[in-house]
Amino acid sequence: MASATKFVSSALTIAEMEARKIRHDSSELWMRAIQPALWLVVFGSALTELRSSQLTEGNFTYLQFMSAGIIAQSVLFVAILYGVRLIWERDMGMLTKLLSTPAPRASVVVGKTLASSVRGIFMAIVVLGLTLVLGINLRLDPLDVLGVFSVVILFAMAFTAFSMTLSAFLGTQSRMMAFGQALTMPLFFASNAIYPISLMPRWLQYVSEVNPLSYVVDAMRSMILTGVYTQVPLDIAAIGVFTLLMMVSASLVLRKLVQ
Amino acid sequence: MKTGKPPMKAIEVEHLSKVYPGGIKAVDDISFDVEEGEVWGFLGPNGAGKTTTIRMIITLGLPTSGSIKVFGIDVSRDSARVRSMLGYVPQAVSVDGDLTAYENLLIFSKLFDVKKADRPDRIKEALDYMGLSERADDLVKHFSGGMMRRLEIAESLVNRPKILFLDEPSIGLDPASRLKTWGYIKKLNSEYGVTIFITTHDMEEADELCDRLAIMNQGKIAVSGAPEDLKRSIGGDLVTVKTSARPPSTVPADLGTVTEVEDYSLKILTANGEAALPQIIDYLRNQGVAIKGISLSTPSLDDVFMKYTSAGRDTRGSFRETREARKAFERRAR
Ligand SMILES: Nc1ncnc2c1ncn2[C@@H]1O[C@H](COP(=O)(O)OP(=O)(O)OP(=O)(O)O)[C@@H](O)[C@H]1O
Ligand SMILES: [Mg+2]
Repeated sequence: MASATKFVSSALTIAEMEARKIRHDSSELWMRAIQPALWLVVFGSALTELRSSQLTEGNFTYLQFMSAGIIAQSVLFVAILYGVRLIWERDMGMLTKLLSTPAPRASVVVGKTLASSVRGIFMAIVVLGLTLVLGINLRLDPLDVLGVFSVVILFAMAFTAFSMTLSAFLGTQSRMMAFGQALTMPLFFASNAIYPISLMPRWLQYVSEVNPLSYVVDAMRSMILTGVYTQVPLDIAAIGVFTLLMMVSASLVLRKLVQ
Repeated sequence: MKTGKPPMKAIEVEHLSKVYPGGIKAVDDISFDVEEGEVWGFLGPNGAGKTTTIRMIITLGLPTSGSIKVFGIDVSRDSARVRSMLGYVPQAVSVDGDLTAYENLLIFSKLFDVKKADRPDRIKEALDYMGLSERADDLVKHFSGGMMRRLEIAESLVNRPKILFLDEPSIGLDPASRLKTWGYIKKLNSEYGVTIFITTHDMEEADELCDRLAIMNQGKIAVSGAPEDLKRSIGGDLVTVKTSARPPSTVPADLGTVTEVEDYSLKILTANGEAALPQIIDYLRNQGVAIKGISLSTPSLDDVFMKYTSAGRDTRGSFRETREARKAFERRAR
């Protein structure tokens, strides 16, 4: 029992540490918001005149359809490059210091991924704000928005942990940067983020079936667009399992980084 | 259970070795004990394996072989428990630049389970003591290197671990801060009973602080003991000769042993200085080395260090050591 309390308090302290850093300097987050804004304003607006029920799987505009995808994409970008930051912390000796404290290693992973999910929520709020500005009609009642936030939290934690795991094997900031960037585009395009799975060739459909991003987008799209929740429990279960797996693997390899 | 248990050992290391991937044998079968409540020093040239040893004790590095116990607990068994008893001031600055000084202390005091009621007083006291009160709310990235170092040391004053590892704590400190740090180490040790494990290249520091110390060389412990005993163990007198050319790096055994050679000076350790002095002068004259000055002294910790480490035998050798150290420096923060 004592160790469970210790675990939670360590994780919260580490999350607090990251949150304080965001409070001191949030400019990085604002800069990261530029990319999703461009996707919506340029890409989305260009295609939105194209009204096709095949493209949007219903009677929606393309902007409506892609909003959930852009939230997911912006969170993915923040999370998957977390490893770069972690390696930098290692190089600066901060990670070594953190791992020499009594904080359980898994609580370091939980704390850091939690903090990363705060960044994720920030991105979700920015994108949802943009949809309001652009007059994109979405179902934004409070419960749905909370649902989106929950998915974002799980998703950000999963990919942050994934990135932490990768960084333990890659070892340098530049390699992590290159690999993270190389990974985002395939993940993004092999998902239902900007077009439905039904439009994909067969082989790509299989890929997108095992792409966690598809489940994330599907859950969020159900909440803010279609209002059809039948798939949501399955989506969330799939994301939950993936998150857990990633957290465990990150906890196991974290120490590799400082050896 | 029997009463009157024997005094607790803070650290027990047995046959510890570490081979890094790539085959560098950084630590080579060392064994030593640190008593509870003592200040234990670890000396040795760059690359001797001091940091590597500390990292294994604090559970950050896995030993290749051997065993380590901290207050009776095997580090491979219960590493979290071991970490809850220790504080660590790494060789490279590791405070978090994106937080303020106060936040650095606050976060780490929470991670070390300092009671909430104790935190404000201890943080204030530590900041005062290390002369950082006025900068408490500034981001640490705007601090000078020495101030970061002081903050790092302040952290351990807040957390008050049972055993504190200081890896070259006075690097980069101005003389006043260095004296302060010594005072602080003594205070932690005598007032709070913190066992101290310190590495240093500063012989004066080692002499001033350490109850006992070990001199490491190329992964092995060359010698260990109390500073006074070590100095006495060398015995004899030290003859320092200033010359006008590079002196020979050896002298006949009956004159004594050379402990240090530089371009224009030579140190010879000899059983009886007064008797050896004329002979040394004659010998050097015969070698065609002109003598500019000569002096006699008793050995210091420097001489102990020089006698037992490869760095002392020939300073030319230390270029390689320096290169090694550079390489180690690039990896330092890990
Ligand atoms: N992460 C590492 N990977 C490979 N070799 C390493 C690593 N860290 C240290 N070494 C090597 O191990 C040896 C001992 O290094 P260590 O850092 O323990 O020395 P040190 O006694 O602390 O030296 P210094 O006084 O320069 O701090 C050196 O040869 C160094 O190059
Ligand atoms: Mg070192």
